[in-house]
Amino acid sequence: MAARGDRESFMRIYDHFMPRLCLYLQGVGLPEAAAEDLAQEALLRLWQRASAFDPARSAVSTWLYRIARNLQIDRLRREAGRVQVAMQAVDEEYGDETPSAEDYADGIQLRRCIDALSPVQARLIRMSYFEARSHHEIAAELGMPLGTVKSHLRRAFLRLQGELGGME
Amino acid sequence: MTAAPRHHLDTATLVSHASGALTPEFSAIVATHLSGCAECRRALARAESVGGILIDQQQPAPAGERGERLREAMLQRLERARPAPLPTAPPPDIDPDRLPAPLHPYFGTSYRALKWRWMGPAMHYIRTTGPSGATLLMLKIGPGRRMPVHGHHGSELTQILRGAYDDALGHFAAGDAADLDAETEHQPVTAAGVPCICVSALDAPLRLEGWFARKVQRVFGI
Repeated sequence: MAARGDRESFMRIYDHFMPRLCLYLQGVGLPEAAAEDLAQEALLRLWQRASAFDPARSAVSTWLYRIARNLQIDRLRREAGRVQVAMQAVDEEYGDETPSAEDYADGIQLRRCIDALSPVQARLIRMSYFEARSHHEIAAELGMPLGTVKSHLRRAFLRLQGELGGME
Repeated sequence: MTAAPRHHLDTATLVSHASGALTPEFSAIVATHLSGCAECRRALARAESVGGILIDQQQPAPAGERGERLREAMLQRLERARPAPLPTAPPPDIDPDRLPAPLHPYFGTSYRALKWRWMGPAMHYIRTTGPSGATLLMLKIGPGRRMPVHGHHGSELTQILRGAYDDALGHFAAGDAADLDAETEHQPVTAAGVPCICVSALDAPLRLEGWFARKVQRVFGI
Protein backbone atom coordinates (compact mmCIF):
# COMPACT_ATOMS: atom_id res chain seq x y z
CA MET A 1 0.00 0.00 0.00
CA ALA A 2 1.41 3.35 -0.95
CA ALA A 3 2.41 5.82 1.73
CA ARG A 4 0.57 9.03 2.54
CA GLY A 5 3.07 11.13 0.58
CA ASP A 6 2.39 9.08 -2.54
CA ARG A 7 -1.30 9.60 -2.06
CA GLU A 8 -0.88 13.34 -1.81
CA SER A 9 1.22 13.57 -4.94
CA PHE A 10 -1.24 11.33 -6.77
CA MET A 11 -4.13 13.57 -5.71
CA ARG A 12 -2.31 16.57 -7.19
CA ILE A 13 -2.29 14.71 -10.52
CA TYR A 14 -5.95 13.81 -9.93
CA ASP A 15 -6.94 17.42 -9.29
CA HIS A 16 -5.25 18.56 -12.48
CA PHE A 17 -6.39 15.80 -14.84
CA MET A 18 -9.81 14.73 -13.54
CA PRO A 19 -11.71 17.75 -14.93
CA ARG A 20 -9.62 17.72 -18.12
CA LEU A 21 -10.28 14.03 -18.79
CA CYS A 22 -13.98 14.62 -18.19
CA LEU A 23 -14.03 17.43 -20.75
CA TYR A 24 -12.23 15.22 -23.26
CA LEU A 25 -14.56 12.25 -22.73
CA GLN A 26 -17.66 14.43 -23.00
CA GLY A 27 -16.18 15.86 -26.19
CA VAL A 28 -16.01 12.41 -27.76
CA GLY A 29 -19.66 11.83 -26.92
CA LEU A 30 -20.02 10.52 -23.36
CA PRO A 31 -22.74 11.79 -21.03
CA GLU A 32 -21.36 13.60 -17.99
CA ALA A 33 -21.75 10.76 -15.48
CA ALA A 34 -20.20 8.17 -17.81
CA ALA A 35 -17.31 10.55 -18.55
CA GLU A 36 -16.69 10.91 -14.81
CA ASP A 37 -16.71 7.14 -14.34
CA LEU A 38 -14.19 6.52 -17.12
CA ALA A 39 -11.96 9.41 -16.03
CA GLN A 40 -11.84 7.97 -12.51
CA GLU A 41 -11.16 4.51 -13.87
CA ALA A 42 -8.23 5.86 -15.93
CA LEU A 43 -6.77 7.69 -12.94
CA LEU A 44 -7.20 4.67 -10.68
CA ARG A 45 -5.18 2.62 -13.15
CA LEU A 46 -2.40 5.19 -12.96
CA TRP A 47 -2.42 4.78 -9.17
CA GLN A 48 -2.40 1.00 -9.41
CA ARG A 49 0.49 1.04 -11.85
CA ALA A 50 2.39 3.78 -10.04
CA SER A 51 5.36 1.56 -9.32
CA ALA A 52 5.74 0.73 -13.02
CA PHE A 53 5.16 4.24 -14.25
CA ASP A 54 8.36 5.91 -15.41
CA PRO A 55 7.89 9.64 -15.94
CA ALA A 56 11.11 9.80 -17.96
CA ARG A 57 9.63 7.46 -20.55
CA SER A 58 6.13 8.79 -20.90
CA ALA A 59 4.39 11.98 -19.90
CA VAL A 60 1.48 11.43 -17.49
CA SER A 61 -0.76 13.26 -19.96
CA THR A 62 0.09 10.82 -22.79
CA TRP A 63 -0.39 7.83 -20.55
CA LEU A 64 -3.77 9.03 -19.30
CA TYR A 65 -4.86 10.00 -22.80
CA ARG A 66 -4.10 6.52 -24.08
CA ILE A 67 -5.95 4.81 -21.23
CA ALA A 68 -8.99 7.09 -21.43
CA ARG A 69 -9.22 6.64 -25.20
CA ASN A 70 -8.95 2.85 -24.95
CA LEU A 71 -11.56 2.71 -22.18
CA GLN A 72 -13.88 4.79 -24.34
CA ILE A 73 -13.34 2.60 -27.44
CA ASP A 74 -13.94 -0.50 -25.33
CA ARG A 75 -17.12 0.96 -23.93
CA LEU A 76 -18.46 1.82 -27.40
CA ARG A 77 -17.79 -1.69 -28.63
CA ARG A 78 -19.36 -3.31 -25.60
CA GLU A 79 -22.44 -1.13 -25.86
CA ALA A 80 -22.90 -1.95 -29.49
CA GLY A 81 -22.61 -5.66 -28.65
CA ARG A 82 -19.84 -5.84 -31.17
CA VAL A 83 -17.09 -8.39 -31.44
CA GLN A 84 -14.47 -7.87 -28.83
CA VAL A 85 -11.63 -6.76 -31.00
CA ALA A 86 -8.23 -7.73 -29.72
CA MET A 87 -6.97 -4.47 -28.31
CA GLN A 88 -4.23 -6.39 -26.46
CA ALA A 89 -4.17 -5.50 -22.79
CA VAL A 90 -6.24 -2.38 -23.13
CA ASP A 91 -3.86 -0.04 -21.42
CA GLU A 92 -0.51 -1.48 -22.31
CA GLU A 93 -0.63 -1.36 -26.05
CA TYR A 94 2.84 -0.82 -27.46
CA GLY A 95 4.09 0.36 -24.08
CA ASP A 96 7.68 -0.15 -25.18
CA GLU A 97 7.37 2.52 -27.83
CA THR A 98 6.42 5.35 -25.53
CA PRO A 99 8.45 8.46 -26.21
CA SER A 100 11.94 8.56 -24.74
CA ALA A 101 13.24 11.03 -22.20
CA GLU A 102 14.23 13.45 -24.96
CA ASP A 103 10.74 13.25 -26.41
CA TYR A 104 9.33 14.07 -23.01
CA ALA A 105 11.59 17.11 -22.73
CA ASP A 106 10.22 18.16 -26.12
CA GLY A 107 6.70 18.26 -24.68
CA ILE A 108 6.88 21.95 -23.93
CA GLN A 109 8.00 22.65 -27.47
CA LEU A 110 5.25 20.43 -28.88
CA ARG A 111 2.76 22.51 -26.94
CA ARG A 112 4.05 25.66 -28.62
CA CYS A 113 3.89 23.95 -32.02
CA ILE A 114 0.23 23.03 -31.51
CA ASP A 115 -0.50 26.64 -30.68
CA ALA A 116 1.32 27.72 -33.84
CA LEU A 117 -0.64 25.55 -36.30
CA SER A 118 -2.71 27.31 -38.95
CA PRO A 119 -6.37 27.73 -37.94
CA VAL A 120 -7.48 25.00 -40.39
CA GLN A 121 -4.81 22.56 -39.22
CA ALA A 122 -5.58 23.27 -35.57
CA ARG A 123 -9.27 22.73 -36.22
CA LEU A 124 -8.71 19.39 -37.96
CA ILE A 125 -6.35 18.21 -35.22
CA ARG A 126 -8.91 19.15 -32.57
CA MET A 127 -11.79 17.53 -34.49
CA SER A 128 -9.71 14.36 -34.75
CA TYR A 129 -8.64 14.19 -31.13
CA PHE A 130 -11.48 15.85 -29.25
CA GLU A 131 -14.40 14.62 -31.28
CA ALA A 132 -12.84 11.38 -32.59
CA ARG A 133 -14.15 12.26 -36.06
CA SER A 134 -13.15 10.17 -39.05
CA HIS A 135 -11.69 11.79 -42.16
CA HIS A 136 -15.02 11.26 -43.92
CA GLU A 137 -16.98 12.96 -41.16
CA ILE A 138 -14.60 15.93 -41.07
CA ALA A 139 -14.78 16.23 -44.87
CA ALA A 140 -18.58 16.19 -44.80
CA GLU A 141 -18.89 18.69 -41.98
CA LEU A 142 -16.41 21.19 -43.39
CA GLY A 143 -17.45 20.67 -47.02
CA MET A 144 -13.84 19.82 -47.85
CA PRO A 145 -12.64 17.09 -50.23
CA LEU A 146 -11.44 13.97 -48.40
CA GLY A 147 -7.97 14.27 -49.92
CA THR A 148 -7.67 17.83 -48.61
CA VAL A 149 -8.61 16.74 -45.09
CA LYS A 150 -5.94 14.06 -45.18
CA SER A 151 -3.25 16.33 -46.58
CA HIS A 152 -3.99 19.01 -43.95
CA LEU A 153 -3.73 16.40 -41.20
CA ARG A 154 -0.51 15.03 -42.67
CA ARG A 155 1.02 18.48 -42.89
CA ALA A 156 -0.10 19.39 -39.38
CA PHE A 157 1.41 16.25 -37.91
CA LEU A 158 4.63 16.46 -39.91
CA ARG A 159 4.97 20.06 -38.84
CA LEU A 160 4.54 19.12 -35.18
CA GLN A 161 7.06 16.37 -35.64
CA GLY A 162 9.48 18.33 -37.80
CA GLU A 163 9.65 21.28 -35.46
CA LEU A 164 10.58 19.00 -32.62
CA GLY A 165 13.69 17.94 -34.49
CA GLY A 166 16.02 15.12 -33.56
CA MET A 167 13.22 12.76 -32.64
CA GLU A 168 14.18 10.06 -35.08
CA MET B 1 8.42 -10.81 -41.26
CA THR B 2 12.11 -10.35 -40.72
CA ALA B 3 12.99 -7.23 -42.72
CA ALA B 4 11.64 -3.88 -41.55
CA PRO B 5 8.63 -2.79 -43.63
CA ARG B 6 9.27 -0.32 -46.43
CA HIS B 7 5.71 0.86 -46.97
CA HIS B 8 4.09 2.48 -44.00
CA LEU B 9 0.75 3.76 -42.76
CA ASP B 10 -0.32 7.17 -43.97
CA THR B 11 0.28 9.79 -41.29
CA ALA B 12 -3.38 10.80 -41.49
CA THR B 13 -4.35 7.18 -40.73
CA LEU B 14 -2.04 7.09 -37.70
CA VAL B 15 -3.56 10.32 -36.36
CA SER B 16 -7.03 8.77 -36.73
CA HIS B 17 -5.89 5.61 -34.99
CA ALA B 18 -4.30 7.61 -32.16
CA SER B 19 -7.48 9.63 -31.72
CA GLY B 20 -9.77 6.60 -31.70
CA ALA B 21 -11.58 7.70 -34.86
CA LEU B 22 -10.93 4.63 -37.02
CA THR B 23 -13.57 1.95 -37.41
CA PRO B 24 -12.76 -1.41 -35.78
CA GLU B 25 -12.11 -2.93 -39.22
CA PHE B 26 -9.49 -0.35 -40.19
CA SER B 27 -8.05 -0.48 -36.66
CA ALA B 28 -7.54 -4.22 -37.04
CA ILE B 29 -5.40 -3.67 -40.16
CA VAL B 30 -3.52 -0.80 -38.51
CA ALA B 31 -2.81 -2.95 -35.43
CA THR B 32 -1.60 -5.80 -37.67
CA HIS B 33 0.86 -3.45 -39.35
CA LEU B 34 1.97 -1.89 -36.05
CA SER B 35 2.78 -5.29 -34.58
CA GLY B 36 5.58 -5.62 -37.14
CA CYS B 37 6.64 -2.00 -37.68
CA ALA B 38 8.73 -0.15 -35.09
CA GLU B 39 8.77 3.02 -37.22
CA CYS B 40 4.98 3.30 -37.25
CA ARG B 41 4.83 2.45 -33.53
CA ARG B 42 7.14 5.39 -32.81
CA ALA B 43 5.00 7.68 -34.97
CA LEU B 44 1.90 6.44 -33.13
CA ALA B 45 3.52 7.21 -29.77
CA ARG B 46 4.12 10.77 -30.98
CA ALA B 47 0.54 11.07 -32.20
CA GLU B 48 -0.62 9.93 -28.77
CA SER B 49 1.58 12.48 -27.03
CA VAL B 50 -0.22 15.16 -29.07
CA GLY B 51 -3.47 13.82 -27.57
CA GLY B 52 -1.96 14.03 -24.08
CA ILE B 53 -0.90 17.61 -24.55
CA LEU B 54 -4.29 18.60 -25.95
CA ILE B 55 -5.93 17.16 -22.83
CA ASP B 56 -3.47 18.99 -20.64
CA GLN B 57 -4.26 22.28 -22.41
CA GLN B 58 -7.99 22.18 -21.62
CA GLN B 59 -9.41 24.89 -19.42
CA PRO B 60 -11.99 23.22 -17.18
CA ALA B 61 -14.34 25.10 -14.86
CA PRO B 62 -13.40 24.91 -11.16
CA ALA B 63 -14.61 21.73 -9.47
CA GLY B 64 -17.96 22.29 -7.78
CA GLU B 65 -19.71 20.25 -5.13
CA ARG B 66 -20.02 17.32 -7.51
CA GLY B 67 -16.28 17.42 -8.06
CA GLU B 68 -15.69 17.35 -4.33
CA ARG B 69 -17.87 14.25 -3.96
CA LEU B 70 -15.97 12.52 -6.75
CA ARG B 71 -12.67 13.45 -5.12
CA GLU B 72 -13.83 11.98 -1.85
CA ALA B 73 -14.91 8.78 -3.63
CA MET B 74 -11.50 8.56 -5.30
CA LEU B 75 -9.69 8.85 -1.97
CA GLN B 76 -11.75 5.95 -0.67
CA ARG B 77 -10.98 3.88 -3.74
CA LEU B 78 -7.25 4.51 -3.25
CA GLU B 79 -7.50 2.95 0.20
CA ARG B 80 -8.99 -0.22 -1.23
CA ALA B 81 -7.03 -0.43 -4.46
CA ARG B 82 -4.28 -2.98 -4.68
CA PRO B 83 -1.39 -2.47 -7.06
CA ALA B 84 -2.16 -4.13 -10.35
CA PRO B 85 0.19 -6.89 -11.44
CA LEU B 86 2.65 -5.80 -14.05
CA PRO B 87 1.41 -6.65 -17.50
CA THR B 88 3.35 -9.35 -19.20
CA ALA B 89 4.22 -8.83 -22.83
CA PRO B 90 2.38 -11.26 -25.09
CA PRO B 91 4.72 -13.98 -26.32
CA PRO B 92 6.00 -13.32 -29.83
CA ASP B 93 4.10 -15.21 -32.51
CA ILE B 94 6.66 -17.75 -33.57
CA ASP B 95 4.14 -20.24 -34.92
CA PRO B 96 4.15 -19.57 -38.68
CA ASP B 97 0.57 -20.85 -38.91
CA ARG B 98 -0.76 -18.23 -36.51
CA LEU B 99 -2.57 -15.22 -37.96
CA PRO B 100 -1.72 -11.81 -36.45
CA ALA B 101 -3.74 -11.36 -33.24
CA PRO B 102 -5.73 -8.27 -34.37
CA LEU B 103 -7.28 -10.40 -37.16
CA HIS B 104 -8.47 -13.21 -34.89
CA PRO B 105 -11.98 -11.81 -34.27
CA TYR B 106 -12.59 -11.74 -38.01
CA PHE B 107 -10.62 -14.62 -39.50
CA GLY B 108 -9.77 -16.98 -36.64
CA THR B 109 -6.28 -17.78 -35.46
CA SER B 110 -4.78 -20.11 -38.06
CA TYR B 111 -3.76 -19.76 -41.71
CA ARG B 112 -4.39 -23.47 -42.24
CA ALA B 113 -7.97 -23.23 -40.97
CA LEU B 114 -8.94 -20.34 -43.29
CA LYS B 115 -11.98 -21.22 -45.40
CA TRP B 116 -10.99 -19.85 -48.78
CA ARG B 117 -13.54 -19.32 -51.52
CA TRP B 118 -12.65 -19.63 -55.14
CA MET B 119 -12.86 -16.51 -57.33
CA GLY B 120 -10.73 -17.47 -60.32
CA PRO B 121 -7.69 -19.55 -61.30
CA ALA B 122 -5.22 -19.38 -58.38
CA MET B 123 -7.33 -16.66 -56.75
CA HIS B 124 -9.18 -17.13 -53.48
CA TYR B 125 -10.86 -14.79 -51.07
CA ILE B 126 -12.58 -14.52 -47.70
CA ARG B 127 -14.89 -11.62 -47.15
CA THR B 128 -16.40 -10.52 -43.87
CA THR B 129 -18.36 -7.50 -42.76
CA GLY B 130 -17.18 -5.92 -39.53
CA PRO B 131 -19.24 -4.34 -36.75
CA SER B 132 -19.26 -0.88 -38.33
CA GLY B 133 -20.30 -2.23 -41.73
CA ALA B 134 -16.89 -1.91 -43.39
CA THR B 135 -15.59 -4.88 -45.35
CA LEU B 136 -12.58 -6.96 -44.47
CA LEU B 137 -11.28 -8.88 -47.44
CA MET B 138 -8.49 -11.43 -47.38
CA LEU B 139 -7.05 -12.47 -50.72
CA LYS B 140 -4.74 -15.31 -51.69
CA ILE B 141 -3.36 -14.89 -55.16
CA GLY B 142 -1.01 -17.39 -56.76
CA PRO B 143 2.48 -16.25 -57.83
CA GLY B 144 2.84 -14.24 -61.04
CA ARG B 145 -0.87 -13.35 -61.33
CA ARG B 146 -2.25 -10.09 -62.59
CA MET B 147 -5.16 -8.65 -60.58
CA PRO B 148 -7.91 -6.65 -62.27
CA VAL B 149 -7.23 -2.90 -62.49
CA HIS B 150 -9.22 -1.32 -59.72
CA GLY B 151 -9.75 1.94 -57.96
CA HIS B 152 -11.66 2.72 -54.81
CA HIS B 153 -14.83 4.58 -54.01
CA GLY B 154 -13.56 5.05 -50.48
CA SER B 155 -10.41 4.12 -48.62
CA GLU B 156 -8.54 0.84 -48.87
CA LEU B 157 -6.00 -0.16 -46.29
CA THR B 158 -4.07 -3.35 -47.07
CA GLN B 159 -1.50 -5.25 -45.09
CA ILE B 160 0.61 -7.84 -46.90
CA LEU B 161 0.86 -10.98 -44.78
CA ARG B 162 2.76 -13.35 -47.05
CA GLY B 163 4.38 -13.21 -50.46
CA ALA B 164 4.63 -9.96 -52.41
CA TYR B 165 3.18 -7.95 -55.26
CA ASP B 166 4.23 -5.06 -57.46
CA ASP B 167 2.14 -2.23 -58.78
CA ALA B 168 2.72 1.34 -59.97
CA LEU B 169 3.34 2.35 -56.35
CA GLY B 170 6.21 -0.07 -55.85
CA HIS B 171 7.10 -3.49 -54.48
CA PHE B 172 4.99 -4.58 -51.51
CA ALA B 173 6.23 -7.50 -49.41
CA ALA B 174 5.10 -9.20 -46.19
CA GLY B 175 4.90 -6.59 -43.43
CA ASP B 176 4.22 -3.67 -45.78
CA ALA B 177 1.04 -1.60 -45.68
CA ALA B 178 -0.66 -0.08 -48.74
CA ASP B 179 -2.72 2.84 -47.50
CA LEU B 180 -4.75 4.01 -50.49
CA ASP B 181 -7.55 6.48 -51.04
CA ALA B 182 -10.15 7.08 -53.69
CA GLU B 183 -7.77 8.72 -56.16
CA THR B 184 -5.55 5.65 -56.44
CA GLU B 185 -6.08 3.14 -59.21
CA HIS B 186 -3.76 0.18 -59.36
CA GLN B 187 -3.19 -3.27 -60.78
CA PRO B 188 -1.15 -5.45 -58.46
CA VAL B 189 0.88 -8.27 -60.02
CA THR B 190 1.96 -10.92 -57.55
CA ALA B 191 5.64 -11.82 -57.34
CA ALA B 192 7.06 -15.21 -58.24
CA GLY B 193 7.51 -17.79 -55.51
CA VAL B 194 4.80 -18.18 -52.88
CA PRO B 195 1.17 -17.04 -53.12
CA CYS B 196 0.53 -13.51 -51.93
CA ILE B 197 -1.84 -13.29 -48.96
CA CYS B 198 -3.04 -9.86 -48.02
CA VAL B 199 -5.86 -8.44 -45.95
CA SER B 200 -7.71 -5.21 -46.67
CA ALA B 201 -10.25 -3.01 -44.96
CA LEU B 202 -12.57 -1.27 -47.42
CA ASP B 203 -15.17 1.33 -46.52
CA ALA B 204 -16.76 1.23 -49.98
CA PRO B 205 -16.86 -1.32 -52.79
CA LEU B 206 -13.88 -1.56 -55.13
CA ARG B 207 -14.24 0.24 -58.44
CA LEU B 208 -13.33 -2.32 -61.07
CA GLU B 209 -12.46 -1.47 -64.65
CA GLY B 210 -13.93 -3.60 -67.43
CA TRP B 211 -17.16 -5.57 -67.81
CA PHE B 212 -15.71 -8.94 -66.87
CA ALA B 213 -14.22 -7.74 -63.62
CA ARG B 214 -17.47 -5.98 -62.73
CA LYS B 215 -19.39 -9.16 -63.38
CA VAL B 216 -17.01 -11.10 -61.14
CA GLN B 217 -17.55 -8.46 -58.51
CA ARG B 218 -21.32 -8.91 -58.64
CA VAL B 219 -21.05 -12.67 -58.45
CA PHE B 220 -18.61 -12.74 -55.56
CA GLY B 221 -19.83 -9.68 -53.75
CA ILE B 222 -16.39 -8.14 -53.19
